[in-house]
Amino acid sequence: MKPKLQARMAELSFSEKIRILEKLRDREKAIAAAGLRKKSAKSTSEGK
Amino acid sequence: MRSFVDNGFVKRTLELINQMQADGVIGEYAIGGAVGATFYLAPAATVDLDLFVTLPSATGMLVSLSPIYEYLKSRGGTQQDEYIVVGDWPVQFLPLRNALHEEAVEQAISTNVDDVPTRVVSAEHLVAIALETGRAKDHTRILQFVEQGAVDRAKLKDIVKRHGLSTEWNQFEQRFLKGPQ
Repeated sequence: MKPKLQARMAELSFSEKIRILEKLRDREKAIAAAGLRKKSAKSTSEGK
Repeated sequence: MRSFVDNGFVKRTLELINQMQADGVIGEYAIGGAVGATFYLAPAATVDLDLFVTLPSATGMLVSLSPIYEYLKSRGGTQQDEYIVVGDWPVQFLPLRNALHEEAVEQAISTNVDDVPTRVVSAEHLVAIALETGRAKDHTRILQFVEQGAVDRAKLKDIVKRHGLSTEWNQFEQRFLKGPQ
């Protein structure tokens, strides 16, 4: 993260930061789930 | 599918923790770890909520988290290894293991998440605890505090000295802040 943006983010209220944390976590979970689906689809097709 | 916007899980989790405190299951508590660090720094992704807790029933060396788990399970929480998932967030309850942790909870900062009151470990105590834990990710977090000017170096040095972490701090400074000699 660029220092200027980092400083602006650090100045947000705790409530706003928590909302961002939740979004980051949701995004990571979605990415992980998509990766698992891809892996699962690949192993299924390889198994055929 | 659940909305990605403003899901409010942390807020609801804290409401439940506050109710658990009001019901006498835990004493004082303070948010530590990455969520605690977010109070002072730019938000960074994390998977769990770390809470330092005092346990009213703790006697001697035996500390049991069972009353917390039972309380939360009866309100929809589910246990996963060392976490209990409350309101979609895995929460790790960390009993106070030493004087540093006790001081961290005593001197925690009162704040709110939306309208829900809570307490967060001070920046200097978070850094001292990260130094004590000493994993690579803890060192990264300490660097973020230092680089973003989010920690009072004099206060930190006092805490580090009083809690026997001077050697760890000197090594950290030498390795990460002073660069190769």
